[in-house]
Amino acid sequence: MLNYVLKRIGQTVFTAFLATATVFVLLRMAPGDPAANYAPPNPTSAQLEAIRQQFGLDQSIPVQFLTFLQHLFQGDVGTSFFFKRPALEVVMERLPYTVTLAVAAIVVTAVVAIPLGVWMARRANTAKELGANIATIAGQSMPDFWIGFVLLIVFAVNLGIFSPAGFTSASSIVLPTVTIAILQIALISRLVRREMVVNLAAPYLTVARSRGISERALTWRYAFGNSAIPVVTALGTRFAAMLNGVVIVEVVFKWPGVGELVVNALKQRDFPLIQATVLVTVLLALVVQLLVDLLYPLMDPRVRLGEASA
Amino acid sequence: MTTSTPGLSPDLSQVPGSILGRDSAVTRVLLRRSAAARRARYSTIKIWVGAVCAGLVVLPVALAQVLPLPDPIVGALSESSLPPFSAGHLFGTDPNGRDLLSRVLHGGQTSLVIGVLAIVVSGLVGIAAGAAAGYFGGWVDAIVSRLLEAQMSLPLLLMLLLVVALFGPSIPVITLVIAFAQWPEPARITRALVLVEREKPYVAAARVLGLHRVSIIARHVIPNVLQQVLVVVLLLLAQAVLLESALSFLGAGVQRPYPTWGGIISDGRELFVTGKWWLVTIPGIVIALLVVGVNLVGDGLRDRVRRAKGDQS
Amino acid sequence: MSVLEVKDLRVELMTGGSVVRAVDGVSFHVDEGETVTIIGESGSGKSTTAMAILRLLPDDLAVISGEARIGGQDVTGSRAVIDTLRGRAVALIPQDPMTALNPIRTVGRQMAEAVRVKYPKLSKAEAKKRALSLMEQVHIRNPAKQFDAYPHQLSGGMLQRVLIAMAVSADADLIVADEPTSALDVTVQAGILDLLLELQEQTGIALLLITHDLGVARLMSDRIHVMKSGTFVEGGPVTDVVDHPQHPYTQKLLGAIPELGPWHDPALDAPTLVKEASHG
Repeated sequence: MLNYVLKRIGQTVFTAFLATATVFVLLRMAPGDPAANYAPPNPTSAQLEAIRQQFGLDQSIPVQFLTFLQHLFQGDVGTSFFFKRPALEVVMERLPYTVTLAVAAIVVTAVVAIPLGVWMARRANTAKELGANIATIAGQSMPDFWIGFVLLIVFAVNLGIFSPAGFTSASSIVLPTVTIAILQIALISRLVRREMVVNLAAPYLTVARSRGISERALTWRYAFGNSAIPVVTALGTRFAAMLNGVVIVEVVFKWPGVGELVVNALKQRDFPLIQATVLVTVLLALVVQLLVDLLYPLMDPRVRLGEASA
Repeated sequence: MTTSTPGLSPDLSQVPGSILGRDSAVTRVLLRRSAAARRARYSTIKIWVGAVCAGLVVLPVALAQVLPLPDPIVGALSESSLPPFSAGHLFGTDPNGRDLLSRVLHGGQTSLVIGVLAIVVSGLVGIAAGAAAGYFGGWVDAIVSRLLEAQMSLPLLLMLLLVVALFGPSIPVITLVIAFAQWPEPARITRALVLVEREKPYVAAARVLGLHRVSIIARHVIPNVLQQVLVVVLLLLAQAVLLESALSFLGAGVQRPYPTWGGIISDGRELFVTGKWWLVTIPGIVIALLVVGVNLVGDGLRDRVRRAKGDQS
Repeated sequence: MSVLEVKDLRVELMTGGSVVRAVDGVSFHVDEGETVTIIGESGSGKSTTAMAILRLLPDDLAVISGEARIGGQDVTGSRAVIDTLRGRAVALIPQDPMTALNPIRTVGRQMAEAVRVKYPKLSKAEAKKRALSLMEQVHIRNPAKQFDAYPHQLSGGMLQRVLIAMAVSADADLIVADEPTSALDVTVQAGILDLLLELQEQTGIALLLITHDLGVARLMSDRIHVMKSGTFVEGGPVTDVVDHPQHPYTQKLLGAIPELGPWHDPALDAPTLVKEASHG
């Protein structure tokens, strides 16, 4: 078991390193001179050269990378070109906003999608369920930025209930959360339905029914107990993905999180900031994924870590 | 004393198919309400509704050059920011006076081309990689599986934005970028299906006959799994359109000859606060309609294929 | 009154392709203390008969007509009747023990749960005690340890004993055993069958046995029905049917048992082949 954990930690570090290195190289290969973004208008080549030196961009790529690694081991990911502060600091300031949004979205998803999925499974192949089925397909078919705008137009602009942008009050989290949750609820409820249908038709359930176990116990204690495992795993994986994936929603709602930060950083070619964001979010996502995987044997007694699963 | 009824028991093996009518308790109503009949009915409904939705988008887009539409690039400032259903502008106009319907249809051509190309590429690559990994196992499988794992943990949207910034937002670049994002799905499912097919007796028989391995895969194994994989690939078209619109919304989309749907929405982004809701809403409806249509068709087909495979076993 | 009384039972399955008449008018009865076996090949409809009587077939798949009475009550109508009988008056021993239990709960908790279906007023401790004693009754070694085990940790034979214990816990009048030994190793089968016989002797329970194995039928049954394509082609006391089969199908079925003795190649009876063979 310890071996497995160590191996996974090693994989996590390696993947984070790989992502960072890839981004590093890609950034420096992109056309356009970042120094131009930080120079006064109509800069002279001397001014540009000075800025490049200041940012360390005049060195060759391998040298830059080594310098970067050197600083990384000292806990320094570089200084943001734009904010002129340690990039890591800037990212960590924004991280709680993104995490809060992701947590809110996943909680709402779980609370709505699970009962919905169970309901859909119990009534599988009925007319009512067909409607819900089509609705969930619709839910995963709408672009998230469009949902965001529609919600904003209806609730913020026309009805004035929520603020149209930014984090102005506690209720500002409602619309972005709903936007994210619509897609996730559609996906997760369909997963719940699939798993429940399989379990409701499984031999052990029929045998339990023959023992006189009540339908309610069969649905929840038997079928759902077994369905919960892949569902919890999926929720964890989606949460990890959300940490990187809420970029669009943050942009639409001007939510002061990491996603909005990185989109602007890309426009401004703020290398250290982009680097820091990638590093932090990838690490966080991998750690969450690792925790989810470690949780698995607690839920399913048939699985032992480190062994090949069936 | 044993009892035996030799002549009276009908040999059901001689009576194929339905035997309704001979004092059967199965009424028309019961049959219509049966699980099997319902499943068939609902998958058909899904496929038709989906086809209509998708068709409502695809047909006008495909005919964009032929339809009598105003110029999508040059607009008349006198007709700036008109709401939908204004004279001559079904979807309204943007601040530059450009007709929204025309922009949506022309931009849609690019979006659709990118989407279709992307799934063709990701489908081919994914099926080939998955089949190789599933059939050969060993180091081939190890490499493919590691690649699949690594890709899962990378921040995809960021990477895609970076690559587009690197190589420029052209149709080939965006297509390849989306294909790269999508190849894991067909690869994974092909690999899983091929792993199962590999153990079947006909594969062993083909080996004994001396068929070359690649020939076995291409001519026998893949065709057997193709139906299920193609449904997945079709569903990827929906995903591709969504991804393309997300990329162009974030500014990394194709701008020439016409901005795609996400780009149009991005252009209208700041304006909805002043009440010009149609610039943001209508292109999104078009995207949603197309994607819902494709997803419904794919889902219905998946039900059909699953039933067909299920009846076989 | 028979424990199980079946009259002209018909089960029609509404599958994707067509309506299949899996069971086409069978009638039989099982009395207290006796074992009645339905024997047939796969696809004969014997398992479907058992499942239909227990109403374990979904209503949007199977249409049941005719009569089936357990303890005098007709179970073919409203589901409310069978709901009161399952786990109390009738119990099932399933075919594949490896997939018959909830994989994420311990064996013991599932046993205790089965006990409490019949006796809901029992406390957790009392239910556990009864479960342990039932496990002893089916000769499970070290029941306390197996109580806390998960199904995947037990062998097929052990799991089948657990399932038998659960069936016994119902204090039922009728046990339906659907091919109880088909999924087990031959060496284990004998033990399970002995256990069933022993339990029947102790409790006087009526047993409806479904099997394709003639040896099992011969060992366990008082009476036997031979089923083919949804109907009974022959029936009666087991010795009569086995020793003097009347119906050609029964004769074929019995002839399918391999006999020990010198090997006789039927091809050698055909004169042309003999000639060719000798000319090599």
